[in-house]
Amino acid sequence: MNIKLVGGAALGLATMLVLSACGGGSQPAAGGDSTGQAGGPVTLKMVAADYGDNPTADNAGTKFWKSVVDQFQAANPNIKVDVQVISWNDIDKQVATMVQNGQVPDILQTGDYSGFVKDQLLYKTDEVLSPEVSKDMLTKFADFGKVDGTAYGIPFVSSARALFYNKELFEKAGIAEPPKTWDELKAAAEKLKAAGVSQPFGLPLGQEEAQAESFLWMLGNGGGYTDASGKWTVNSPANVEAFQYVKGLVDAGLTTPNPGTKDRKTVWEDFAAGKVGMVNGGPMSIPIFDKGAVSGKYAVAPIAGKTGPLDTTLGVMDWIMAFNKNGHAAEIKKFFDFFYTGDATQKIVDNYKLLPVTNGGIQKLSGDEKLKPFLDALPNASFYPFKDPKWSEVNTTIKQTVGGAVKDDPAKVLGDIQKVAEGS
Amino acid sequence: MKRLRVLEPLAWVGPAVVLIALVVLWPVIEMVRTSFLEVSRFGVVRGGNGTKNYDKLFAETDFWPVMFRSLVWVVAVVGFTVLISLALAQLFNQRFPGRKIARWALIAPWAASVLMTSIIFKWMLDPEVGIINLIRRDLGLIPAMGGADADQLGQAATAFPWLIFVAVFVSVPFTTYALLAGLATIPSDVYEAAKMDGASKFRTYWSITLPLLRPALTVAALINVMNVFNSFPIIWSMTHGQPGYSTATSTIFMFILKGSNIGESAAMSVVNFGMVIILTAIFLKISKWKQEVA
Repeated sequence: MNIKLVGGAALGLATMLVLSACGGGSQPAAGGDSTGQAGGPVTLKMVAADYGDNPTADNAGTKFWKSVVDQFQAANPNIKVDVQVISWNDIDKQVATMVQNGQVPDILQTGDYSGFVKDQLLYKTDEVLSPEVSKDMLTKFADFGKVDGTAYGIPFVSSARALFYNKELFEKAGIAEPPKTWDELKAAAEKLKAAGVSQPFGLPLGQEEAQAESFLWMLGNGGGYTDASGKWTVNSPANVEAFQYVKGLVDAGLTTPNPGTKDRKTVWEDFAAGKVGMVNGGPMSIPIFDKGAVSGKYAVAPIAGKTGPLDTTLGVMDWIMAFNKNGHAAEIKKFFDFFYTGDATQKIVDNYKLLPVTNGGIQKLSGDEKLKPFLDALPNASFYPFKDPKWSEVNTTIKQTVGGAVKDDPAKVLGDIQKVAEGS
Repeated sequence: MKRLRVLEPLAWVGPAVVLIALVVLWPVIEMVRTSFLEVSRFGVVRGGNGTKNYDKLFAETDFWPVMFRSLVWVVAVVGFTVLISLALAQLFNQRFPGRKIARWALIAPWAASVLMTSIIFKWMLDPEVGIINLIRRDLGLIPAMGGADADQLGQAATAFPWLIFVAVFVSVPFTTYALLAGLATIPSDVYEAAKMDGASKFRTYWSITLPLLRPALTVAALINVMNVFNSFPIIWSMTHGQPGYSTATSTIFMFILKGSNIGESAAMSVVNFGMVIILTAIFLKISKWKQEVA
């Protein structure tokens, strides 16, 4: 009897201990390796976004980073790099959860760095990157890595946009050359429609990347999200006019139907299948198109503006940054220098058709015919106002609602977004 | 020894209590706490925020439409699910050749992942290549593939019914099986007595089957109410709540908010949590949970 009783109590107690240990177990793990004793092995925790098609694809992020890390560890046996690759859909939310729980990684590679600067979570660039590497970065890009004159974000890769068109469909519709102005674009779309093309112009204004497509149309009319001084101008007359023009295309059935619900991925796949006449795309869409029916039958041209082809385009930069919480500056520096001076950046270009951010990298690519329009566009590219603290909220709103601007009243929809931008 | 004796129940109940505290109570407390904090999009806690998260949430132009839509969503999905399941359960309770296979087939939508089912329906509704649209074109219902007519998920008016359809499709198996189990508990002598008294088929169903089925029906419907209210994958994978927020329920709205304002998103979660409790309370009240079957 007694034994039973004590046994039961002990079992219960043990279970409780195990359970509570599970609950609190995460804390020491995060703080435990923060000492970083000199000479001893150090583990760098890294979180990176996945540029690959899917987790099992040949170009999966895990495979890419493993090859980089293996090389690095062979040269630096005392430093171990632990890479966690997260898909673009989830990385922001997962990183936010890590930060909220105090489990920040040492290195983070994602789409934005500026939100961490104000809270002093990041190393300055010159603490973790050699001057030789810094110097090789494209100046315009490096400047975007600065907040109040101090650099925190290190440009990782970039991309630019241009107009892809289906040569076969253009020929069938009797269009001699890609459109340069909005009038030409509409005329071309009408010819494509008459030739039986269901989506003359692919227009993804859905959740995935509505902010990009919108921005390209704004640029086409000399507009943009902000003016030169950084003031929000989402509902400027130029932008409203641009959306009125696009609405005209939508109403005439010349675009993807219900563009406000269509993701970039879907529309690009439709282009790859030969169902779309023209679409705005980037170097990263090349591998998708090459896998489809359209392979070898498409060409790239500058994006049409209201009165002539755009002299600028949307540039997107991704960033890599180092968190200062665990104090591994020296080890991070070794890893960054290794990354930028080795052949890793070349691998990114080969795998994902993303553009390099260093002068050296761009020179190496100048012979690539397909990438040339994008490389040419890079130096004069326009960027999202991502350093503005309101951008994330504005961006979320655009992704969800901007499709309404080509369905209902453009001035009202853009005005509502402007209100979010100006809100406290 | 006596004193230890008093503690014995605690040793047995203790682990369960700890488990509930850790897995249920603690997240709820954290959720409520977060809803009063100012959290940057990048997860940095910037201190207390009073009720500002709630003020902002209630001031969103889309908040009330979203809440109303959530209600429509729950009522429609649970309503259709229960009606269809009642009929199916009755059917599967009969003996007919191939009943075993039919019962197995009904499990399929339940056994498949909800996300997979939703994505498959999204593909079937694809305006360019979807099989449902190919059939509609061949039937002459739409002029051609790829146009706005073929794009049913692109407009709220046609997308929302499809979402409800998919939600009913995945909810029916569980509900049917719960009701089948309920039907199996009804003793056959009650039916014999009704037959002796000359009750009509409809009367038998209304006065015997339904009342005796009520415990099973209540549990099945209640679980559905909570499930459907919190349902995320169907809407997210098929429409992202778009166009605009016009197919978004409160769970989708909460997830979208998380991308820009974690505190406000937590406030939405608290509202959501409250709604589930209120809906459950109303439901139990209506179905007179405690009153025994006469």
